[in-house]
Amino acid sequence: MQTKIVSKNFEIPQSHTMDVALKNGRYASLDRLFTNKPQEVIDVISKSGLRGKGGGGAGAAGKWQLASDHDGIKYVVVNADESEPGTFKDRQILAHDPHLLIEGIIAACYAIGSNTSYIYIRGEYEEFSDILQSAIDEAYEKNILGINAQYLVDITIHRGAGAYICGEKSALLESLEGNRGHPRLKPHTPQPEFYFGEPTLVTNVETIASVPFIIENGADAYRAYGTDLSPGTLLFALSGNITNPGVYEAEFGVSMLEYIETMGGGVKNGKKLKAVIPGGASTPILPASMLKDARLDYESLKSLGSALGTGGMIVLDEDVSMVKALKNLLRFYHHESCGQCTPCREGTSWVDKTLDKFIAKTATQEDLEILKSVSGTMNGKTICVFAPAVSGVINGFLKHFENEFLECIV
Amino acid sequence: MSFSFNNDNNRKIDLIRKRYPEKKALILPLLWLAQKQESYIREDAMQFISEFTEMPYMHVYSVATFYTMFRLKKPEKRVIEVCRTLSCALNGSEEIKQHLDSKYSDKFEIVEVECMGACSGAPMCTLDGKYIENLTPNMIDEVLNAN
Ligand SMILES: Cc1cc2nc3c(=O)[nH]c(=O)nc-3n(C[C@H](O)[C@H](O)[C@H](O)COP(=O)(O)O)c2cc1C
Ligand code: SF4
Ligand code: FES
Repeated sequence: MQTKIVSKNFEIPQSHTMDVALKNGRYASLDRLFTNKPQEVIDVISKSGLRGKGGGGAGAAGKWQLASDHDGIKYVVVNADESEPGTFKDRQILAHDPHLLIEGIIAACYAIGSNTSYIYIRGEYEEFSDILQSAIDEAYEKNILGINAQYLVDITIHRGAGAYICGEKSALLESLEGNRGHPRLKPHTPQPEFYFGEPTLVTNVETIASVPFIIENGADAYRAYGTDLSPGTLLFALSGNITNPGVYEAEFGVSMLEYIETMGGGVKNGKKLKAVIPGGASTPILPASMLKDARLDYESLKSLGSALGTGGMIVLDEDVSMVKALKNLLRFYHHESCGQCTPCREGTSWVDKTLDKFIAKTATQEDLEILKSVSGTMNGKTICVFAPAVSGVINGFLKHFENEFLECIV
Repeated sequence: MSFSFNNDNNRKIDLIRKRYPEKKALILPLLWLAQKQESYIREDAMQFISEFTEMPYMHVYSVATFYTMFRLKKPEKRVIEVCRTLSCALNGSEEIKQHLDSKYSDKFEIVEVECMGACSGAPMCTLDGKYIENLTPNMIDEVLNAN
């Protein structure tokens, strides 16, 4: 069930060092890269069907094209903020194959015509940021990066400092400009992002790390994996009540339950499966009864009323209280709202406090109505999709486990 | 004595200042260096950064207070951060927190934090910023008594 494309070198000892990386095929795609024109590189990415792996799943090539269509200074910003609860895949790349990330960044810069890249990494990942910095230093020494390289790329690591919202791409750019991490209003027409006014591609670590394989082996080789609409692989992950938590790369489209059994060794302590939060905390929860035909691709999980998100599955066993689980998540969102929009700032605070009454079993029917109506006001009237996502989380719990909430009403 | 960066940090600043199109972008990197150097961000460090980046002091201050990892007060004790988010909670983070509170709160500052991206090692905490995963009360005793 495991398919190793991005994770191919993860288990090789010292895989993060240049010597070992070179022996195991790193930077081999660069020769092929430079025989292509930049537009041809974008075309290959487009044909491969590569989708963004930061959670949204939008086509990667479209964003590359938008940035490429502008002249002048451009930037490639790699999103290594990885703060979505249940998600810990990008750190595997940073720790075990940083040279794969550098190789992919060179391709993205070349394709869109940029010479400058920043890697925005969450502040807590200091250990991985140090490993990545050594890899970057090695790449400069070997003239793979810098002024003496075949194509000039400079990479700078920029450390965040503890703010979930900085993973949102426009908040990330605000943070990278030296501001508070407040998301920006979204334009109504397709546009690249802008860093100090210059067109910028913001993209997830794993998306970029998928690029060298495609450059080296072609679009069809990538499409040989996964489904028609979700081609390739993802570093899916398991945590929560699971026997073998971890990150295991697999093709899109595999059965979720089979994945949980084979890769995760099933629910911990032989307990029964109650529910799965399929792709990081912000994707709506799905009860076990709905998972029989669930496949790990964008379309299948969407059709079930949830989303693939980051592919980080949180497994919940039969003993878990859904009221407590939702309280845990709402406390998180309350803590992490950036506070710019009233419905989000006030709403996350209100639902968090309302859940306390359910925990104490002192809630009223009115409190349940409050949960539903606040969730409604958070959906669609805010600067970024943080608040609508919280709304989806609440609705998922209430839709599938309302009885547990009703039991807490006096 | 008013704040200044040490030689080592000045060398680092010389390298990174060329990497950004505008000085304002140096605010986060400089706050990090200031915190590393002094264990927290002093008011005169923010003053220094404000002059260095040619941004108002209030801007630097508002940035420093937005991010939870920046400390504006001198830490009195070593810090243990315990993750409390769902995957850790499902694996007993509450007991871990109670164990720490009952035995170690006089020697360490124990704070709860949100998901640290280490959910496969739940429950987890950090000590001086370093991750410790798959915690049990016994393991905590071993690690903390050895430290
Ligand atoms: C609240 C919020 C948090 C996010 N956090 C992350 C994150 O930690 N890492 C990430 O790659 N994308 C995150 N995203 C998605 C980014 O906005 C952006 O879509 C992504 O980095 C684009 O990369 P991709 O196209 O390669 O997926 C977040 C989005 C939102 C709304
Ligand atoms: S929706 Fe919430 S997190 Fe997003 S900008 Fe508004 S207040 Fe900030
Ligand atoms: S929930 Fe604790 S590290 Fe992710």
